[in-house]
Amino acid sequence: MLKRDAARLARTRRRAAGFRDVLPGAAEQRRQLSDAFLDTFSLWGYGLISTPIVESLDTIAAGVDSEELDRLFRFMDADGRMLALVGERTVSVARVVATELRDGPFPLRLCYSGPVLRNQPLLGGRRREALQAGCELIGSDHLGADAECIALAADAVRAAGIANVQIDIGHAAFLPGLIAGAGLDDVASGAIHDALTARDLVAVENALDGTPMEQAERSLVLRFPALRGGREILDVARAGVVAPGALQALDQLSDLWELLVAHDVADAVHIDLGAVRDWHYYTGPTFELFSGDVGFPIGSGGRYDGLFRHFGIDLSATGFVLLIDRCQDTLGEVTPGSQTNGYERVSSNGSVAGAIATAREQRSRGVRAVWNFDA
Amino acid sequence: MSAGLSIGIPTGTLLADSCALITQAGVAPLDAASFAQVLRAQMGTHEFFRIRPTDVPTYVGMGACDIGIVGKDVLWETEQEVYELVDLGFGPCRLVLAAPRNSQMAQGAWPKGLRVGTKYPSATRRFLDEQGVPAELLKLHGSVELAPLTGLVDAVTDLTVTGRTLAANDLVEVTEINRSTARLIVNQASLKTRFEIVMSVVSALRDAVAAQVHAAP
Repeated sequence: MLKRDAARLARTRRRAAGFRDVLPGAAEQRRQLSDAFLDTFSLWGYGLISTPIVESLDTIAAGVDSEELDRLFRFMDADGRMLALVGERTVSVARVVATELRDGPFPLRLCYSGPVLRNQPLLGGRRREALQAGCELIGSDHLGADAECIALAADAVRAAGIANVQIDIGHAAFLPGLIAGAGLDDVASGAIHDALTARDLVAVENALDGTPMEQAERSLVLRFPALRGGREILDVARAGVVAPGALQALDQLSDLWELLVAHDVADAVHIDLGAVRDWHYYTGPTFELFSGDVGFPIGSGGRYDGLFRHFGIDLSATGFVLLIDRCQDTLGEVTPGSQTNGYERVSSNGSVAGAIATAREQRSRGVRAVWNFDA
Repeated sequence: MSAGLSIGIPTGTLLADSCALITQAGVAPLDAASFAQVLRAQMGTHEFFRIRPTDVPTYVGMGACDIGIVGKDVLWETEQEVYELVDLGFGPCRLVLAAPRNSQMAQGAWPKGLRVGTKYPSATRRFLDEQGVPAELLKLHGSVELAPLTGLVDAVTDLTVTGRTLAANDLVEVTEINRSTARLIVNQASLKTRFEIVMSVVSALRDAVAAQVHAAP
């Protein structure tokens, strides 16, 4: 083969960087996960909604910060409008609710499953496409809605066969409430905020140095990676807190805990007061799901009462997303192709019509069958 | 899931101090000389991996290691969402902007259309953005001191401990950009799912660092 042809062949065969093929067996397992999630969502009263893979950049900008916008695949349509492939689907659901579903009835329970894309650098083994299934509970500020989302997420992953599920709940107003209540100037509180967001305790220590933050609250902030435990951590924290925003967060988590006990999921729940989440987006209780040895959360969610204001409608909302690829990682390897071979082969044995009919009859009974036309 | 942690230890200049601290903290008796001969070592319940420094954040970020030791200079350049829990104090160095001794820049006059060579594009870009300087960055992989001498760039940013390499190449420090020391980083899921054992190792290392600081004259 000519060198030029070999180079062209190599380019033809190359898969786009950051994407992957999911082979038979693994792809089937992925579909089963997605179906199991949607089945559970449906049992809990959530209606399936489908939104486009593309949104206008203006829509996405309502719910996503500029850094996240930079990580989207963006392009222009024939009319010169800026569009992007969606990197998450909550904003799309919010757009639909603020327009076609604005008359309710509220609270609205909606769910979805579909791919999301991110044009992120490939360092560290990141992927650019992911399959996500999620729920949004829109139009209620009741803690019952927060508890429902947590219990539903736990129910969905368990029903899909994922073991050792652990749920960490936090509150978007706890650490920010401590900082806001300390009477710091914008520069100091901004520096602490940034350091916490970077999960950088060393920087948090430096940023707190020389601020007038009160000792008990300061030590709570410094303990953020370890402010974690069962129900008792709320009382431990309360002893040192005077900031009203943070106290209110503790009260809400205490009430939320009782509801989670009633939902029978409290066994799997830890309270993580130091949980680092997007505090510009989330406004109330937040949560993350973990399982076994997977180095990332397999799902996350929380209350986001501010989003709908960007769409000209005032609605409280909470929701969550399950990361199907990471959920699949917890289930272990599927042998590629293992499921493609698992079917009946019906040979002709002199009667083509008979063999085709036999295969058809087997399929009608739910048995995977092919007419083995080569034999 | 094993009872112990998998711990990433950086090769190179931080290896000896990392092993010493792990040993001193009572986490495991990790001997630098023998560990330098292998890629992995099981010590008691913990397993240690010897990893190229720039790869440590990836191993920890992706969950292949629960915790790791790495220079802050490496963290400047990575986007992994890891917890950075302890300043371990050793391996101090500074990232500085340096220019040829006889250049305008060395006198404080930054040229228009500044070109900067660096092994640290993220940290350098952040600094220049903060200064409002629209410089052109050139990512280099070694001996950045050479770049201004050949006229490839006006200035470089590089790590320095003593300043000797800069001086030997007739470069002077224009300004300090940042300071680095070794840090303890933790995988975000490990911190939640293996909380007790992670925190016990973190505390042991933190106490050992504090003891060293107090022991210093």
